[in-house]
Amino acid sequence: MGAISSTFSQNVRAHKWRVFDWQLLLYVVLLVGFGVAMGYSASLGAGGSSASGMSQTVKTVIWTGIGLTIFFVAASVDYHWLTTFTVPIYVAVLGLLAITTVIGTSLFGAQMSVTVAGLDFQFSEVCKVLMVVVLASFLTGRREKVGRLSTIVGAGVLMAIPTFMVYRQPDLGTALVFVAILVGMLFMSGASIGWMAVMAGGVVAVAPLAVQSLAIYQRQRLFCFLDPSVDPQHTCYQLIQSLNAVGSGGWFGEGLTAGGLNRSGLLPVQSTDFIFSVVAEELGFIGGLIVLALFGLLVWRVLVIGWGARDALGTMVSVGLASMILFQLLVNVGMVVGIMPVTGIPLPFVTYGGSSMISLLFGMGILESVRMHSRKPTF
Amino acid sequence: MADLNEGRLDLPRSPARFIAFGVSAVLLFTLLGGRLFQLQILQGDLYARRAAAAHTAEIPIPAPRGLIFDRTGRPVAVNVPSWAVKARPADVTKAGVSTVIGRLASLIGANAKVLEQRFDAFHGSPYDLVPLTKVSRQAALLVGERSQELPGIVVEVDPQREYLDEKGNLDGSLLAHAIGYTGPISETELANLASQGYLPDDPIGRDGVESSFEQELRGTYGAQLVQRDALGRAVKVLDTVREPTPGKNLMLTIDAATQRMAVDALTWGMKASGVQEGVTMVMNPQTGEILAMASLPAYDNNKFAAGISATDYQAYLTRPGKPLRNHAISDTYPPGSTFKLVTGLGALESGVTTPTRLWPTYGCYQIPNAPRGQCLFDWNHTGFGPLNLTQAFAISSDTFFYQMAVKQGVDRLGDAAAQLGFGKQSGVPLPGEAAGIVASTEWARRNGRPNLYTGELAQAGIGQNVIAVTPLQLLNAYSTLANGGKLMRPMIVRGETSDSGKLVKAYLPEILGTLKASAADQRVIRIAAREVVTSGHAYNIRDLNLPGALSGKTGTAEFGAKTRNNTLPFHSWFVAYLPSKPGATDAKLAVVTFTYAAVVPGNVSLEVVKYFLQKYFKLDQDLRLDPHNFALVRNAN
Repeated sequence: MGAISSTFSQNVRAHKWRVFDWQLLLYVVLLVGFGVAMGYSASLGAGGSSASGMSQTVKTVIWTGIGLTIFFVAASVDYHWLTTFTVPIYVAVLGLLAITTVIGTSLFGAQMSVTVAGLDFQFSEVCKVLMVVVLASFLTGRREKVGRLSTIVGAGVLMAIPTFMVYRQPDLGTALVFVAILVGMLFMSGASIGWMAVMAGGVVAVAPLAVQSLAIYQRQRLFCFLDPSVDPQHTCYQLIQSLNAVGSGGWFGEGLTAGGLNRSGLLPVQSTDFIFSVVAEELGFIGGLIVLALFGLLVWRVLVIGWGARDALGTMVSVGLASMILFQLLVNVGMVVGIMPVTGIPLPFVTYGGSSMISLLFGMGILESVRMHSRKPTF
Repeated sequence: MADLNEGRLDLPRSPARFIAFGVSAVLLFTLLGGRLFQLQILQGDLYARRAAAAHTAEIPIPAPRGLIFDRTGRPVAVNVPSWAVKARPADVTKAGVSTVIGRLASLIGANAKVLEQRFDAFHGSPYDLVPLTKVSRQAALLVGERSQELPGIVVEVDPQREYLDEKGNLDGSLLAHAIGYTGPISETELANLASQGYLPDDPIGRDGVESSFEQELRGTYGAQLVQRDALGRAVKVLDTVREPTPGKNLMLTIDAATQRMAVDALTWGMKASGVQEGVTMVMNPQTGEILAMASLPAYDNNKFAAGISATDYQAYLTRPGKPLRNHAISDTYPPGSTFKLVTGLGALESGVTTPTRLWPTYGCYQIPNAPRGQCLFDWNHTGFGPLNLTQAFAISSDTFFYQMAVKQGVDRLGDAAAQLGFGKQSGVPLPGEAAGIVASTEWARRNGRPNLYTGELAQAGIGQNVIAVTPLQLLNAYSTLANGGKLMRPMIVRGETSDSGKLVKAYLPEILGTLKASAADQRVIRIAAREVVTSGHAYNIRDLNLPGALSGKTGTAEFGAKTRNNTLPFHSWFVAYLPSKPGATDAKLAVVTFTYAAVVPGNVSLEVVKYFLQKYFKLDQDLRLDPHNFALVRNAN
């Protein structure tokens, strides 16, 4: 206990706030603001009154407030401190996912969230960030043995258990994010590219089996993007409407809260995973590019922090979070524009959701900690 | 940068991998941005159009069905609201089909199985409405109140037909056969008619004018643009794309009051003689307009319009007298002596006889070229001595007309019949018209013989054996005689009207052909028809104080199998028209009555026509005779 508290007080005393990365926070806040605005607009479209739109906006602001508190707490703590708890954290991840499986409530047919005090909480969101920490700790511990096959196998096994639990909820999207985090971190850790390629080959080989094990509705949704006309009335309906909404946005869009498809309630889940189609419809190509640019700047800052980290642990945490954000961006926006399968992956910071918001801000807080504990401020 | 690890053993930091990671990220952003550019800028117009189409839909606006008026402007077919319970499969399925339909059935007192069958039989968009059943207004309100417990169940107001009688009462039986009724379109019909804008469960005309004037009455459905929500449901009407064109209002040639008189007269006659099936029709010979068309027994078309129950339908199917059939046009009967019009006119036209030439008549007419003793009786079994055509027509000598038929031959007889409209449909715009049978060589060949037997030809001359006509054909034939030789297409619809029943577009009478016989020859038959009334078989009808010289012909026609008394049952006919004076061609009224198996001593059809004329001309006479004993009905009572 004494060791821990002394580390904590040391860090607080360190007064490293002058290297605090304000840009990172700025981009995060801008994206969250974007999300609040679009979420408000989308809630109008779902037939809701401006009052219910406001109540959702208020909720988002509250979640963001909680998230920012966690952000600053995490930033002020030396991230090395977290590695002390690698094993408890991993056990906690498995425990949280198990709780979700047993008592979770069902959302769109999948058991993904747990209701605590009236607020739905998706533990799998938190687990993504926690697993970044666990993997970073594991990989840095490999040191000179990092190039061996055992690194890949060990990290793979560590990741496979929570991934499988999430997949069984069933939440294919989040499971894929876990895999993306694993791949990104392994690659950046210096793991053998040859062995990774072999592993990737193996995954590709068993992928058809995994698809087979999916429920029919998941499979249909998954393949809509190849040809939305196979089932325009039902399964692919969301995708078709999303494409129509994005396409009709043009250069500048139809104006915030003025999107034709959004306002007529034609984007079935626009306030959650399809929020980007509202952005594209109402703010157009320019609006879409602004969101992409904010993500680009954000990821740039994350990588800069990772590069400048004092040690590999900081680098690993950074690239893990970067992998997560990039992959979710690719899959979410790719889904909205019809180049990725329809899976329920939220758009980081923008999609309304308390658990996602808190988890992401927690992750960003760790990054600030990495930044503030970097040996030498760069850039 | 020097040793960033400060000598600590740590993972190597690979700039190459950082660069690879960064390049992947740049590629990712390029891919998403490029795709956005493609969708929003390059193909923007395409998607904008699709978007507009996606949240709107064109849905049909039904056109109100045209009303039907009688010839004086009385409404006889009108539209009233009816309540129908419908189900939207998308919502019902979510809550459980059996649960929802079970609750609904117990609420409205319907059979859940039947409702569920109707629901299951529907194949279409899950957001369409499936009609389940019609309900009373009270039941509709009840369903509306409990809508919380009945997800996906809605009550809609659909128009329904109501058929009225001459007094505006809800009595469809008065004009059922003329008007018909409407019912929901069947699946097979829909398959053929969907391209013409018919929708599932749309009403479509069945029987009568409702059927034959379906296109006019239906009108053209309009269309409205509605906004749809994410589930494809219509939530708001945005715009009317096309106003519906209401169906045309039609005016029948029938006068409902005249129809009532015909029905009453026929009902009395059938009751008085124990007859189960009869027809009384009234026509204007000048135009072919049908002024009344009573086919008894009738059915109540209001039952069909409201959705007939299986029990009621079964009762109609099994009831004697076949109420669902319009005997006036759909059934053919031997015309008996009324057919002597054809034989006589043919004989004059072909020169077989002249108006004045006398022919012997016989107790039994020896069939030429047949073994001796094969003869056909005159109706009195003794003969009437030498007769000319007029006398023979008036007295209805059978042996006279056997000779006329045999002498002119089958082809001339057939030609005369065809000129008068027999052997083919009259062309009245009503569904289900029969063509009838006229003896011909061709007919014999179809029955495997080279030609008719001479005996058959002789019998054809008196409307027996190989002759079958509809009551309408017979009435139209005598109308042709009455109007000076013009075969008219019988009319059932007089024209189109305003919503209040004012005639705005009159349909024109149509002449289908003219008689070849000379005007003088035709006049001979008309004089003979007058003789029937004044000196022949028509009992006391001559004593009616009618505004004209009633002319006509009686007929009895044997059919079927012999009864216990070794006689055949027979139908009775009377057909008449009313010119201003004997032989004139200005008759505006012709009547026919047919009674099926009217096995009584008197001619009940004659009595029916007599009764009808008394009513029609509001005579203060009642000369009806009891068909059983020829006593005046008034005295009998």
